Amino acid sequence: MIRIHPDPTGNPLSRRCLLSAGALGCLSLADALRLQAMGTPGGRQRTQRAKRVILVFLGGGLSHHDSLDPKPDATPEIKGQYSTIPTALPGVRFTDKVPLLAQSLSKATLIRSGSHNNDHHETATNWALSGRFGSPFGDYPAIGAVVAQQKGFTSALPPYVSIPRNPSFTWELGKSAFLGGRYESFRTGDPNQSGYKVEDVSSTATDLTKGQNRRKTLLGAVDNLARQIEKNDQMATFDEFHKRAANMVLSTEARRAFSIEEESDKLRDRYGRNTFGQSCLLARRLIERGVTFATINYGGWDHHAKIYESLNKKLPEFDLGLSCLMEDLAQRGLMDDTLLAVFGEFGRTPKINKDAGRDHWGQAASLWFAGAGVRSGQVIGSTDKTGAFATKRPVSPADVAYTLLDSLGIDPRTPLQSPDGRPIEILDQGEVIRELFA
Amino acid sequence: MSARAFCLLVLALPSVSIRAESIPSFTREILPLLTRLGCNQGACHGKGVGQNGFRLSLRGYAPDQDHAWLTREFMARRTDRAFPEESLFLRKAAGLAPHEGGKLFSIGSRAHTVFARWIEAGMPGPDSKEAPLLSLEIQPASAVLQPGKSIDFAAVAHFADGSTMDVTWLCKFDSNDPGMLECNSSGQARALIPGITAVRSAYGSEVATSAIRVPYASAIGGGPANGHPVDKVLGARLDSLGLSTSAICDDYTFLRRSTLDATGLLPNQEQREAFFQDKSPDRRAAHIDRLLQSSAFVDRWTLFLADLLQNRKERDHDVRGVQGVRSFHSWLRDKVATNTPWDQITRDILTASGSVKDSPAVGYYVVTVGEHQDPTRSEIAASSAQAFLGIRIGCAQCHNHPLERYTQDDYYHYAGFFSRLKLDRKEPEKGITQLLGTRPDTKAGANQPRTGQFLPPRPLDRTKYTPDKDSDPRVALAQWMTGPARNQLAGAMANRIWRELFGRGLVEPVDDLRATNPPVDPELFDLLAKEFDKGGMSIKNLVRFVMNSQTYQRSSSTLPGNSNDLKLFSHYPARRLPAEQLLDAISQVTGLPDQFPGYPLGIRAQQIPDPTFPSYFLKVFGRSERVTACACEREGEVTLPQLLHLQNNVEIQGKIRDPKGILKSALAQKKPPLEIAQALHLAALGRPPEAGVQTILARELASNNPEDVLSDLLWALLNSKEFSFQH
Repeated sequence: MIRIHPDPTGNPLSRRCLLSAGALGCLSLADALRLQAMGTPGGRQRTQRAKRVILVFLGGGLSHHDSLDPKPDATPEIKGQYSTIPTALPGVRFTDKVPLLAQSLSKATLIRSGSHNNDHHETATNWALSGRFGSPFGDYPAIGAVVAQQKGFTSALPPYVSIPRNPSFTWELGKSAFLGGRYESFRTGDPNQSGYKVEDVSSTATDLTKGQNRRKTLLGAVDNLARQIEKNDQMATFDEFHKRAANMVLSTEARRAFSIEEESDKLRDRYGRNTFGQSCLLARRLIERGVTFATINYGGWDHHAKIYESLNKKLPEFDLGLSCLMEDLAQRGLMDDTLLAVFGEFGRTPKINKDAGRDHWGQAASLWFAGAGVRSGQVIGSTDKTGAFATKRPVSPADVAYTLLDSLGIDPRTPLQSPDGRPIEILDQGEVIRELFA
Repeated sequence: MSARAFCLLVLALPSVSIRAESIPSFTREILPLLTRLGCNQGACHGKGVGQNGFRLSLRGYAPDQDHAWLTREFMARRTDRAFPEESLFLRKAAGLAPHEGGKLFSIGSRAHTVFARWIEAGMPGPDSKEAPLLSLEIQPASAVLQPGKSIDFAAVAHFADGSTMDVTWLCKFDSNDPGMLECNSSGQARALIPGITAVRSAYGSEVATSAIRVPYASAIGGGPANGHPVDKVLGARLDSLGLSTSAICDDYTFLRRSTLDATGLLPNQEQREAFFQDKSPDRRAAHIDRLLQSSAFVDRWTLFLADLLQNRKERDHDVRGVQGVRSFHSWLRDKVATNTPWDQITRDILTASGSVKDSPAVGYYVVTVGEHQDPTRSEIAASSAQAFLGIRIGCAQCHNHPLERYTQDDYYHYAGFFSRLKLDRKEPEKGITQLLGTRPDTKAGANQPRTGQFLPPRPLDRTKYTPDKDSDPRVALAQWMTGPARNQLAGAMANRIWRELFGRGLVEPVDDLRATNPPVDPELFDLLAKEFDKGGMSIKNLVRFVMNSQTYQRSSSTLPGNSNDLKLFSHYPARRLPAEQLLDAISQVTGLPDQFPGYPLGIRAQQIPDPTFPSYFLKVFGRSERVTACACEREGEVTLPQLLHLQNNVEIQGKIRDPKGILKSALAQKKPPLEIAQALHLAALGRPPEAGVQTILARELASNNPEDVLSDLLWALLNSKEFSFQH
C-alpha cells in the first residue's frame, strides 16, 4: 500500500501539492505517484503500516557503551570490561554480552544517536514515553494512552497494556495525564510468577455468566444517578468500563490471552524464564489477540555502581528475550504489521565513575526498531569516539513518538481535548525518522 | 507547565521609533526581551547545558552570568561593538545566520533596535544603582467579556523609586484556560465560552494576573436568598455569570453525603433513625453536629492529615519502624480529637525535636530530611512549604520559579531555617533516632549552589530575620508562618478542607497557591480563610460551617443552565469515593470487616496508619503513597481494573454470599426476601428502593431461589455508580 503522507516538514510532495497536481511547481500526479512508489527522496515509500506496537522500555537507562554501541578503541575507563564481537552487519560491532542481538541486527534497525539533554529519570522518561517535554510529573499522555484514545478497543482486551506494570522510579510514569483514567494502561502483573494470574480476570469468581441478565436488569434499575447528572467524565468512564470489564471477564478468548501456561515449555524456556523473557512472550500473546499498544517495562538499568555485576546477569536476559521475540513474531507472520521499538529514557555516561558505575546521560543512547516496514540490517546515526555525543542524525524523543504514532496511522498533530475543553496537539515537535523505513 | 516551542516563535513586534539618547537597561529591557523571545527558555539556551554552545540562565534568573556569557564568552564572539548589527547573536536572531531557533525578529524591529543600541552603548551589565523592581500590574486588572469579544492587555512595571514603565512589549501573556479565553503572547485576548479565568504575565521575577469573567447567556438568576455567608458570596458570583444553581438535595442524599464527608462512612440505621425522628427544621444541622462529635470523624480527618504530612514507613533504611509511623499517627489523631488549632499543630511539627519515641512529630523529619547530612539539601524545604502554605517552591531549588516570584535565593533562604537540624538516625535495634534543633557547629543558613553565597534564613515574603547564635531557626519560621504568613497558612488549609467536601478546591491544584493561579472565587477563598482563622483554625469548625451552607447541600443533578460548570459549585460535584472509604463501605454493606495484615480484625482501612502495607484494592483505587507532599498522589480516576475488581474480585464476590455476611444472616433469620432487599438497598445507597426495583424483585423472587436473586441485587448495588460515588 502506498501512503501519501501529508508531511509539513520538507516533503515536497505534500498532500496539498499532490492535490493541486499540475499546478506550477508540482510534478504531474503520475510522476508523483511513481516517485512515491520508488521511494526516492521526493516521495516516501511506505509499504507497511503498523497495526500494533510493542515497546520495550529500558527504564533507568541502558549503558550503550556496554551493549549496542561499544567503543573498543577508547581508554579503559570509557571502554569498560567487555570485548566486542562482529554483528550481522559488516563493520558494526556489539559487546560480547549480546551475541544473539548481534545476529538479529540483520532484521532490525539500530539507532545510535538517540539524543536529548535531560538527565533526570522522571522528566526524561515522561519525555521519552510521551514525545513531549514537560515536568517530572507527567503533564502529557504517554503514547500508549494516546493510541488507546485514538484507536479504542479492537477486541475485548484493553488497547493499551503494560507488562508487568508502568515504569516507576519514585512515582508511576507513562500515564494518561489529562486524557483521564479511561486511557490508562492495563497492568498485567509479572507473567514469570508461578501460577501467574491477572487480578480479577483470570480467576472466574463464581459463575459470572449465570444470572448475568438479572444482574444487568437490577443494576439498570437501582442505579439512577447518571440519569440526573450530565457531563461528568468520571461517571461516563465508570459506565464504559463497567461494560468493558464484563466483556473481558465473559470472553474466554480475552481471558485466555493471559494464560501464558498454554505456551509450550520449550518456547517459554527459549524466551528465558525471567520476568523480561516471559513479558515478551505475554506481549506477543496479547497483540495477537487485539491489544494495540503493549509496553514491556524492563527496568533496572540504572547502574550507578558496580555496573558489571549487574550487566553480567541482565544483558544475557535482554539478549535472549528480545531476539526470541523477534524470531517468534516473524515465525507467526506478525512482523509485517507489528512495530517493535526498544529504548529507555537515556544512555549512560562515557566514563566509569568511582563506584564502578555509569551515570545518567541524555546526550546519547541506542534505540532498536524492527517490523512494520522498518528496514532490516542498518545502523542510523553514530556517536563520537567516546560515545558521549551524537555525531550524526540526532534522534529526539519527539521523533520517536512521531514515528510510532504515524506508523499506526495517527496524525501526531491531532489536537487532543483536555477535560476543560482545551485543545492540545498530541505532539508539538518531531517528525518521522524516515531512514527507518528507507 | 508546558514547554512550548518558544524558540520556533516568530514574533512580529511592531517597529517603533525609540529615543536615540536612552541606553537600554540590561535588567529592565535586555533580559526581559531574551525571556519574551524565548531565548532563555528550558527548550532553548535556558536549559542546564545551553543550546549549541550558548547558555543563558532559565528565564534570566542569573543576570551576571547571562551578561558574561552574552558579552564575553568565547572571546566576545557574540557581540560586535563597532558594528552592532553584525553581532553574531543579532544576526542569528534576525535570521541572517543559521539559527536552530529560527528568525525571532526583523531588522529594524523594536527588539532589533534595542539590542543594537545596547551593544553600541558598550553593553552595560546589571546596574546596582537602578531601582529594583517592586511589582508588575496587568491593565485592566479585571474584565467582564461577552463570548466572542476581544480585549487588549497592557503590563506596567513598578519600581522601588516610585517610577513606572510600560513593559507590554517585553511581556508574554497567557490564558489560564485557553479553551475558554484565548490569549496570544502579546496580550490580545478573545472570549470563547462562558466561565471564569485569568490572564497571567511575568516580567523579571514578578508576576501579575487579570481576572476575566465571561457570563453565561442563560441568566436564570441565582438560588434562593439565604443568610449563609458562603451562599451569599458564591451566589453573587454565580448570578454575575448567569449560572443557575441546582436545587437543595433530598434528605437521604444529604445524610449519605454529609456522613461520608465528615466520617468517611456510610450512614447506618441508627443515624438514619436519629435524623428522621428529629422533626425540627434544623435537623440537618443537628445531624452535622452529631457527626462531628463521633470518633469516626477523628479517624477520617486523621487520615487527611497523615497524607498531608507524609506519614509513611521509609523504603530503605527505616529508622522509626512501623511503631514510629503508628505513634505519629496517634499523635495526629490526638490533635484532631482534641480539636487542636491548625496553627498549633503547624508549630508543634515545625519545631519538633527530641527522640522519635517521646516526640512522634519528629517522624515528619525522618521522612522529609531522610538520610541527607545537610537538611538544606533535603526535601524538607519544598515539602513544608507545600504542606503548610500550599506553595510549590521546589522549582526554585534549581532555578527561579517560572510562574511565581520565588527565586533560587528565596528557596535557599527558606531552606536555611532547617540548617541547624541534626537528625541522628539509628536503626531501631541500635538505639533511638534523635532530632536536635540546634546543631552547635552549624551556622544558620544555606549555600546557594549557583552563586556560592551563604544565605541566612529568611521567610518567603523576604522580611528580615536575624538568627541568634544559639537558637533553633525553626522557632522563628513557625512564628512567621503562624504570624505574618497566617493568612496563607489559613487559606491553604481552608482550600484543602473545601476540596475534601467538594472534591475540588477553590484553587486547583489544591497545593499550588500562587498569584498566577487565583481562586475561582477569590472572595469566597478569603471568606473561608478568615472563617477558619476565626474558628480557632479548627478543622471541625470549618467543616461545620461549610456543611451548613446551601452550597454544600445542593443536588448533584445538573440543570440545562449549569451542566457545563465544572468549577463553581452550581451543582454538587459527583466523584468517585476515595480508596479507603470505598473499601470500608463494602465492608459496611456486606457486614464483613476486612482483615489487614498486622492489624486486629475490625480495624477499618481509614484507620490504618501506614500506607505501605500491601492491599490491591487500595492501590488500584489510588490511595496516597505519601512519597511527596503533593496532594496529587491520591488518585480519584476511574480505571478499568477498578471495574473488573468490583465485578469479579473473588473476595468481594465471596463477601456477598458469606455465611456470616448480611445476606445469609438475614436469610437464616427467615426474614422476608423483600424486606431483606429493602435493607440491602438502604445500607448500600442510603435510600429505599424505587417502585421499579420492587417490581423487578417481586417478579424474580416469584420464580427463583431468593438467595440467588438477593445476591445478584447486592452485586448490582455494589457495582452501581450511586454506591461508588459521592454525590
